[in-house]
Amino acid sequence: MKTYDILGYSFSAIKLRKLRAALTTLGVIIGIAAIVALLSITQGLQVSITNDLNRGLSSTSLIVVPGSNALGAVGGGAGFGGGGGRAARATGTTGINLGGSGAASSGFALYDNYTSQIDALSPLITSSMAVIERAGYVDAGGLNNSATFYGINFSQYVQQYPTTFVAASGAIPTNPSNNDIVVGARVNDPRENGTILFSAGDKVGIVWTNATTPPIIINETYTAQVSGVLQKVGGFGFGGPSDNGVYMPLSQAVSFFGTNQCDYIIVQLKDSSNATISNVSKLITDHFDGQVTVISSTAVLSLLSTIFGTIQLFLGGIAAISLLVAGIGIMNIMIVSLIERTREIGILKALGMKSRTVLSIFLGESAIIGLIGALLGILSGWILANITARLLASGAFGGTGFKVTPLLTPEVFAGSLAFGIGISIIFALYPAWRASKLKPVEALRYE
Amino acid sequence: MLRKKNMTALVEAIDLKKTYMLGKVPVEAVRGVNMKVEAGDFVSILGPSGSGKSTMLNLIGALDKPTSGQLLIDGEDISKLNDNQLTDLRRRIGFVFQFFNLIPRLTARDNVELAMSIADMVKSERKQRAAELLEKVGLKDRVNHKPAELSGGQQQRVAIARALANNPKFLLLDEPTGNIDSRTAAEIVGLLKKLNIENHVSIIMVTHDQHLAREANRILEMFDGQLISEVVNQQ
Repeated sequence: MKTYDILGYSFSAIKLRKLRAALTTLGVIIGIAAIVALLSITQGLQVSITNDLNRGLSSTSLIVVPGSNALGAVGGGAGFGGGGGRAARATGTTGINLGGSGAASSGFALYDNYTSQIDALSPLITSSMAVIERAGYVDAGGLNNSATFYGINFSQYVQQYPTTFVAASGAIPTNPSNNDIVVGARVNDPRENGTILFSAGDKVGIVWTNATTPPIIINETYTAQVSGVLQKVGGFGFGGPSDNGVYMPLSQAVSFFGTNQCDYIIVQLKDSSNATISNVSKLITDHFDGQVTVISSTAVLSLLSTIFGTIQLFLGGIAAISLLVAGIGIMNIMIVSLIERTREIGILKALGMKSRTVLSIFLGESAIIGLIGALLGILSGWILANITARLLASGAFGGTGFKVTPLLTPEVFAGSLAFGIGISIIFALYPAWRASKLKPVEALRYE
Repeated sequence: MLRKKNMTALVEAIDLKKTYMLGKVPVEAVRGVNMKVEAGDFVSILGPSGSGKSTMLNLIGALDKPTSGQLLIDGEDISKLNDNQLTDLRRRIGFVFQFFNLIPRLTARDNVELAMSIADMVKSERKQRAAELLEKVGLKDRVNHKPAELSGGQQQRVAIARALANNPKFLLLDEPTGNIDSRTAAEIVGLLKKLNIENHVSIIMVTHDQHLAREANRILEMFDGQLISEVVNQQ
């Protein structure tokens, strides 16, 4: 029997029981829609976070953090910080501090004067600078706003991040006095709606809760002069400028926080080639006997893609379970159909239909259900993903919301289609095999 | 009636036996039958229920295999054939069942075409042939009706058209008038005789109805799994 005849016969059997076929198909639709919606949202999220990250990261810089396996910890921080765009803000830290916490257990620490050692390691290094990072808040006439404090070298930082460390109002001092600060866009406009707490030129209180010698907890304060407000960076400042950052001279940070220990060192390279990155990374790691982790933008991006791969696998896996349930539904319906059509199978065999054709007819029926279910499932999943993205953007899930553009890759499209049809066929194998093995004499006798 | 001698018999049974298990009890349904059906014959196998005639029908229809003895259908010993070969053989046999056994969701034409598509006939050819066959059995104006929209007699005509679809070696009928009224039954018998005489279609008919059996040229009577008489009908 020709393939189109087989499919035509299968289709006529489906048409006979429309409601039953529709309900069976609905199972596949739901399973595929769940997979497509979750994957296209996650992939859209990955693209948007990668773009944000690219804005914050410089491809010619390396970040040296204490601890031998800090990258994993950074990855965790980056994943969650990026996920909300606000989680990083809430904890008042970038992912890098999480890396720093790994250092406490190993006992190794970076100090601000290590930069000269690093500078001397290779001619491929332009410069390096230490950063001290702490969480605290800014007191603007009684209105407190949480922020992340960064002790940096202003001129080096400008050089390192020429496109993002740019003042929108006021100026970035090249020769700052100790109480000069530069603040990120969200520090003076926390709601991002123009309700500003202070402007360039104002004086604000810097408050840091010192808990370095527990049980004593002291609120350390000093009054700072706002020299400049940065333009909005967006994304999240990974090593680079952050909308939530308060930047003070490194010398001020050293005395205010009472430490020479820095949280990370940013190393600027002559070029962004992979060879340079890996050479310098190795030199630095070896120099500190493997007690530091050198993070490059490429490493972070590849880690990010690994993390998203895992998330997609996990979410896709959960969605796939619903497809398995649909598969069991198909099997159930096919067995019922097989019993109802025993006599019909007997007739077909008496007319000279081969066992493998009977098998194909049953598999054809479930393949048609799988195909229709998968196509409708992809469509509904895509619609669902777009609705979710709009809800996310409108802030329906709280806050001001964030923008995600769902992404349906050809791989996800083809994969869902194949998966939907595949599951339908696999679960129909047993009933189809039973149908094909029916003995014509017995099947014809069946009432 | 044309009767060509010295040709390979359509059906030849030699000491044919079939035993099947009814639960744990072996039942000898056919016990050493010898018979021969030649091309152009119209043979009826007559017998009461339990005589083994249905088992004979299943064997001649290549739906089942004998326990022992030989059954040659169109020259092939069916006990030596595998399932696939038996299936191929069935395409050369035109079945007509007591309960018509049409596919309910298909129209008369599609039911006839189904048999041809199973035998891999191309679409254009089978469409034309289905129309011709339905015309031959007198259902020219009923081709697009589904079985539920046809009377018993009309359904049996569709079944006969379907049985003829692949130019079978012979028609094998199982109580073909068992489920229709006597007037329609007479029409069906008339159609069968016409097919046998005018189109030289060989017919083997299994029935318990003596009146119907007498319409054949040769009547083989079965009882208790054996052939007890053979009557040549001199009409």
